[in-house]
Amino acid sequence: MREATIPPPASRHRSVGHWRPLRTGGLLAVAVAFVGWCVFPFYIMITTALKTDPQIFAWPPVWLFHPVLRNMQNAFFVVGGRSALFFLMNSIIVTAVSTILAVLLGSMTAYGLARFHFPGDRNIAFFILSTRFAPPVAFVIPTYVLVERVGLLDTRLALIIVYTAANVSFVTWILRGFFVDIPKEIEEAALVDGYRHIEIFWRVALPLIKPGVITTGILCAVFSWNEFLYAMILTQSRASTLPVYLSQFSGSTTLVWDQYMAVGVIAVLPVLLAAWWLEKHLVRGMTFGAVR
Amino acid sequence: MQRTALRATLAVLIGPSLLLLTALNVAPFFLGVYMSLYYWSLANLGPPRFLGLLNYEYLFADYRFIDSIKVSLLFVVLSVATELVLGTTLAFVFSSRARGMASLRRISLLPVMVMPLVAGLVWFYLFNPTYGTVTWLCYAVGLGRIPFLTKDWLALLCLVIADVWQWTPLVMVVVFAALQSIPEYCYEAGKMDGLSQRQMLWRITLPLIRPAIVVIMILRAIDSFRNIELVYMMTRGGSGTETLPWYIYSTAFIDGNLGSAAAMAVVMVLFVTVLTQFLVGRLRYRQA
Repeated sequence: MREATIPPPASRHRSVGHWRPLRTGGLLAVAVAFVGWCVFPFYIMITTALKTDPQIFAWPPVWLFHPVLRNMQNAFFVVGGRSALFFLMNSIIVTAVSTILAVLLGSMTAYGLARFHFPGDRNIAFFILSTRFAPPVAFVIPTYVLVERVGLLDTRLALIIVYTAANVSFVTWILRGFFVDIPKEIEEAALVDGYRHIEIFWRVALPLIKPGVITTGILCAVFSWNEFLYAMILTQSRASTLPVYLSQFSGSTTLVWDQYMAVGVIAVLPVLLAAWWLEKHLVRGMTFGAVR
Repeated sequence: MQRTALRATLAVLIGPSLLLLTALNVAPFFLGVYMSLYYWSLANLGPPRFLGLLNYEYLFADYRFIDSIKVSLLFVVLSVATELVLGTTLAFVFSSRARGMASLRRISLLPVMVMPLVAGLVWFYLFNPTYGTVTWLCYAVGLGRIPFLTKDWLALLCLVIADVWQWTPLVMVVVFAALQSIPEYCYEAGKMDGLSQRQMLWRITLPLIRPAIVVIMILRAIDSFRNIELVYMMTRGGSGTETLPWYIYSTAFIDGNLGSAAAMAVVMVLFVTVLTQFLVGRLRYRQA
């Protein structure tokens, strides 16, 4: 009899014989359970936003019900008073402008640090990065005083400037990595053709790292969109963004769950789309390029 | 000539960002230190009064301040440790090549970038004592109606759970990426040396994913240390959940004592700076 010694495939998760399907099944079960845990709060949020008040306050919870869209309408299209629509508009404006500015300034800085070597360049890069980790609650106190003295309290401009500064460090650090990856020869060729450095940055280097610029921009937008503390302290009414609307719920005596959950759904929706789309780039972005 | 042109280019590229960061990071930092030496009221009643180091002296006699640091450290240690253990384990689970794993992994990432305030809102509802879904689930399995958010220790645990919900997927996907980047030949070499599965795990896999785990650990520690949204939405500092950020916030903007809050902020910045230095030392600065 011939001895059949077929080596098992080189797999990290090699297991013996008939145990394998059982083990895969177990792993799948764990994964499904984890996904269920991750998704459950979303399910509760969305269903609460579609429930009527008696259903929201029911004990035991109501699992089957006719969804109503009234909460959304109440939150966003109230007659009189300030609707969430107003906050939504502020959020969109502040997020869009601060993201564009941060990507613009940050990519310039990143290019400068990637392509030119000068004494202290490393220290400047690390200084820029470390500003990203400044605890907002510590910096919001002096920033509040500064913004008040300059007379920018309760303006969108104040939030735009603060968010741009917060995101510039992130963009600089991430995009510097992308610029370093570009072969130098391409830019040297452009230099020989008589382009100036600024032109090379704008017309050659930046287009080459477009995918990186877009994903970095989306991460910046998510940050600006979600930011709460500065928004709450630096605005009172005219420039308040969605998180400020949601924060009104805290400490209020009447719990208007329906409307706040409806606004919560709208506040989370664009970010979920971004997370879904960014999946592959999330790791590099969220670890500042340390893990890819 | 060439040299001055280069310098001008560099100034145009880097100057604006440095100016912005100086105005919004360096200046506030020094203003914060300056404010911490004064009695500085939010209500703007007359000019701030110089106190010297009195704010700091009061701070270290203030049991609420000392407690808030303890609560914060406990919150950070509990949530980050749970996230690391769960996330790393799940990274191994998700690197199984079973069908459907990739889609499951993608869905599980959804909590990561959710507005923290909304996460707080939803978990506040889930833990509500009279109609919260989690409260009901615990009741249904016979644990009784647990007053999650008003009981000492339990309230802090609820904040930890909300933080773990939001960030475990990130830890998982970072460790997952690190696992994927281990080249197959490492395992082949290990096999040739006759290592058992367990030895492969301890001598090859874990040492190779350690740098990624350390980076995400420090990042998470910095991030959860400064989290204020969950406390803001779920407990407002009650039931033993007064973290340092919440205490600073309430001292400054509820009690209106900006000077004292600024002194606490200086202490907090020192804490974070130490953590940041650990992190920054581990990030690669690649040269072109």
